[in-house]
Amino acid sequence: MVKEIERAGIPVVHMCTVTPISMTVGANRIVPTIAIPHPLGNPNLDFEEEKSLRRKLVERALKALTTEVEEQTIFEE
Amino acid sequence: MRLELGYLFIEDVQFGEETKLENKTLYVNKDELVNLIKEDEHFEKVDLELARPGESIRITPVKDVVEPRVKVEGPGGVFPGMISKVDTVGSGKTNVLKGCAVVTAGKIVGFQEGIIDMTGPGADYTPFSKLNNVVLVCEPKEGLKQHEHERALRMAGFKAATYLGEVAKNLTPDEVEIFETEPMLESINKYPELPKVAYVQMLQSQGLLHDTYVYGVDAKESLPTIIYPTEIMDGAIVSGNCVSACDKNTTYHHLNNPVVKDLFAKHGKELNFIGVIITNENVYLADKERSSNWTAKLAEFLGLDGVLVSQEGFGNPDTDLIMNCKKIEQKGIKTVIITDEYAGRDGASQSLADADPLANAVVTGGNANEVITLPPMDKIIGDTSYVDTIAGGFDGSLKEDGSIVVELQAITGATNELGFNKLTAKGY
Repeated sequence: MVKEIERAGIPVVHMCTVTPISMTVGANRIVPTIAIPHPLGNPNLDFEEEKSLRRKLVERALKALTTEVEEQTIFEE
Repeated sequence: MRLELGYLFIEDVQFGEETKLENKTLYVNKDELVNLIKEDEHFEKVDLELARPGESIRITPVKDVVEPRVKVEGPGGVFPGMISKVDTVGSGKTNVLKGCAVVTAGKIVGFQEGIIDMTGPGADYTPFSKLNNVVLVCEPKEGLKQHEHERALRMAGFKAATYLGEVAKNLTPDEVEIFETEPMLESINKYPELPKVAYVQMLQSQGLLHDTYVYGVDAKESLPTIIYPTEIMDGAIVSGNCVSACDKNTTYHHLNNPVVKDLFAKHGKELNFIGVIITNENVYLADKERSSNWTAKLAEFLGLDGVLVSQEGFGNPDTDLIMNCKKIEQKGIKTVIITDEYAGRDGASQSLADADPLANAVVTGGNANEVITLPPMDKIIGDTSYVDTIAGGFDGSLKEDGSIVVELQAITGATNELGFNKLTAKGY
């Protein structure tokens, strides 16, 4: 899906836990997430902490989306 | 470490007044075994059914398959950390009821459970259609949480297998096989010219009903470690999972791991079977990196020349598999990976979720997406109403006449990644 959307000319950020698979399938902008059963959250945190974690992940993804890349890039921060 | 496995061949199973083994027939006192399993307060109802090879019977949803065994001589007992204390197993003598199994079924625990057909085309795809099965049908009490249900059913299988295994405690086996692993340095001195080979066994440990236990320890809580192959043959590793039926390792698979058995067969002749490294398949990327670093480190430390890696399950564990393969290869050690494929119904899609050029020697257990039609059976043990929702099933899988159209994924053991079944593919 990532590749097909990009082929249509729209940049994509792939948010995922297993970044090596994302690299293998050819995503260009990759944001690592928390865990496979809960990529964008963490049930071990309390509500406020988790909300902050989610916001940071989304902000990182938006930053990645607006960053020019020359090669496949993992946005660790 | 030296283990003698004594096989008592079972050709039939019957209900009887006394639980015993006589003339290759296993007699089961139904009430006694049902009452034993009912001691667990989590079950509302427990029933026992028999399913023999060739009978028109469908068993579903199947959770685990367990081979009845009993420790005859030496330290430890069956299923250490689960039934017996955690004494080290893998030495002495163990008797095995060969040709029969306990199958756990009943209300579904997780959506990834399986089907065993005892006859017809489906029977060809599961090794358990060839066994005389004692099927536990356990209905949980209302409101029982999923993970408690899993645990209760898991323990029920071990208890029943232990109970049945006891019949062989004082019997003389029909056949005995001996397996021995010597301490590494002695083994290397004994076979200096043979390549040193180990087996890296990946254990399903994703959590959420996808777990495997080693001496009672949840594999996801452990770093990779070394284990004697005879410990595995003697019940040190058991299944606690409801991952896709076709390629999960039931407890029966662990006890009869063909990679272990075949490496023993070549030990001292073509290769020096050094031992087994067990590792996990966790859901955090850091765990995947750490565990695969560790297997590579152990493989290097053992001075290995070659490694066989087997996977359990599919999807993100494909990454654990590729990481293990790549990192061990990068240490200069040759690897072969054993996996299965999700290549689409026509087999034309990419088989694994991850790949690497270093994974250049691959053995496959077949394509789990292939579709099969299972004709109706005269008798259902369990409940077929789940087949639309189990992994490999889909809306409309269950037809009005009782036939089932499913992917092989739904058949217990169909594409097993220890090579326990018959499916594979070859490149020419």
